[in-house]
Amino acid sequence: MAASAYIIKRTGSRVITFAVVISIIFFLARSAGTDPFERYLSEDPRIPLEQIQRLRHRFGLDKPLHMQYLDFLKSTIQGEFGYSLYYHRPVFDVVMERLPYTLFLLSISIILSTIVSFVVGVYFAWKRGTKVDLWGTNICMFIRSTPHFWLGMILLLVFAYYIPKFPLFGALTPGVRHANIYEFLRDLLWHSTLPLTTLLVRQIGMYVLYMRNSTVEVLGEDYMLTAKAKGVPVRSIMFKHAARNAMLPMVTVTAMRFGFMVNGAILTETVFSFPGTGRLIYLAIMNDDFFLLQGSFFIISITVLIANLIADLICGWLDPRIKI
Amino acid sequence: MRANQLIASAQSFASIYKRNKSGLLGLAILLFFIFTAVFAPFLAPYNPYKRVDRPLIAPSRKYLLGTNDIGQDIFSELIYGTRVSLTIGFLAAICTVTIGTLIGVVSGFLGGTVDEILMRFTDVIMILPSIPLLILLMAIFGKQSFFIMVLAISVTGWTGTARLVRSSTLSIKERTYVEAAKAIGGGDRHIISKHILPNVSPLIMATAVYQVAGAMMSEAGLAFLGLGDPSHKSWGMILHYAETSGGWYANMGYPAWWWIMPPGLCVAFTIASLVLIGQAMEEIINPRLRRR
Repeated sequence: MAASAYIIKRTGSRVITFAVVISIIFFLARSAGTDPFERYLSEDPRIPLEQIQRLRHRFGLDKPLHMQYLDFLKSTIQGEFGYSLYYHRPVFDVVMERLPYTLFLLSISIILSTIVSFVVGVYFAWKRGTKVDLWGTNICMFIRSTPHFWLGMILLLVFAYYIPKFPLFGALTPGVRHANIYEFLRDLLWHSTLPLTTLLVRQIGMYVLYMRNSTVEVLGEDYMLTAKAKGVPVRSIMFKHAARNAMLPMVTVTAMRFGFMVNGAILTETVFSFPGTGRLIYLAIMNDDFFLLQGSFFIISITVLIANLIADLICGWLDPRIKI
Repeated sequence: MRANQLIASAQSFASIYKRNKSGLLGLAILLFFIFTAVFAPFLAPYNPYKRVDRPLIAPSRKYLLGTNDIGQDIFSELIYGTRVSLTIGFLAAICTVTIGTLIGVVSGFLGGTVDEILMRFTDVIMILPSIPLLILLMAIFGKQSFFIMVLAISVTGWTGTARLVRSSTLSIKERTYVEAAKAIGGGDRHIISKHILPNVSPLIMATAVYQVAGAMMSEAGLAFLGLGDPSHKSWGMILHYAETSGGWYANMGYPAWWWIMPPGLCVAFTIASLVLIGQAMEEIINPRLRRR
């Protein structure tokens, strides 16, 4: 199959996925029995019923369900996710303002944690059965069992409170105008050290185990024995032969677990009051801002699907066998 | 006859399990928490929903883990929280495993278009970030209640089980005894209940343990974000109140570590114990892992 056909097929399946998601959410939201006007206006007795009816007509909520669905589909594709009840601005703008912060946290933490877990995982696999491996894997397992937000709270307690080296909240120092891009980056990095550490520690805890197990599995293959018999040095067996083959499942796992990492980012941002989409979702819950919730969910989902697609394409590039 | 077989297989399972030290450790930790949950009213010194003293008192002999921002005893909150967290974890795990097994077996056994549609659907749910989806579902259901939480977690958590059960079903379906059962005229229902399910069940047991861990993690996250049931305080909700009140780090110059440390450690230890148990069970089911 040609590369372009492969890309088209993958992209197509993501588009279908997204359409399915939109449909599920639409029908769930409607089957819950409330439309937005009932939800937000019916509590105020000063608004006359006719006016609610008029508004309902204006926004097409008196149309039959399938027509409403088509309207909904159309506006979603056009990027219209409604109006935030709390910010009094279009949901799309509010979410897009905060998305870069989340993507910043996610991309940096994914890149760093992949590199670290690659090395550490292969090392543990190399030393498998020894004390280093036993302690290492057990510590990783424990880290993997801690909730993100709690890890963040502990880091905050230690490094922003007992040892006040890092700020308690935010992504930038409030009220400061940065003279140049370097100042800006320095401020951002200083603020995001703790959130990034939280994500990194959790992700490393998870990926070291994947990488270790996947390498151990590869070590059992016959060609590893051949390499050893040929007299290839151990270091080169581990990193050139074993690790390279063990990496593929890792990339797949990263792709599949991207959504999971977004979960982590949401919780971490909440703890550190980091102005990303995760924090936004938290505020949307607090303010009962349904449209903002719905819109951020859609935008985050699209982001995840795109990231997933990229990981998929990387997989295909790393291992040409997948394309067939 | 069947009872004897069951006892025999349980005994052999136990004898292998006993050799696994980390598995035993996990079991001990989990039993400790289950004990706490069951006997919560006898173990907790105070009512966790009542104010007992001044707010934010540091740990002392009277209040083992101090008090929170409105003067409730944190140690009692923690003990009752064990109940809520474990119950939600186990209930949600039962639901997810049931849904996952159903979809997995049907998909693997029937194959064809049904399989294609079900697996596509599984992929969709699997790829999406679960917390925003859960939040949205809970917002749609509208109420913050214990059962809505269980329901929401179950609706999103079954994908892994479905995948595993499906692939296992596919391999069992091809075995000769299934073919033999088909040849002598066994119907689909007979084959599924007598051949497929009994052979998939060890795998289901192991994944169920992981599902409890996963459900507890989701619950903790959602409760922390403020979506828990206020009349059923879980570990995650203790942390939610600590976060929203700000009292844990803005308390007259010193942070209330006693408020945030214990709930998180409880979550971590419970989940770690479940993972240890799950690993031990996996090793029994899949002997290839044992040799490593």
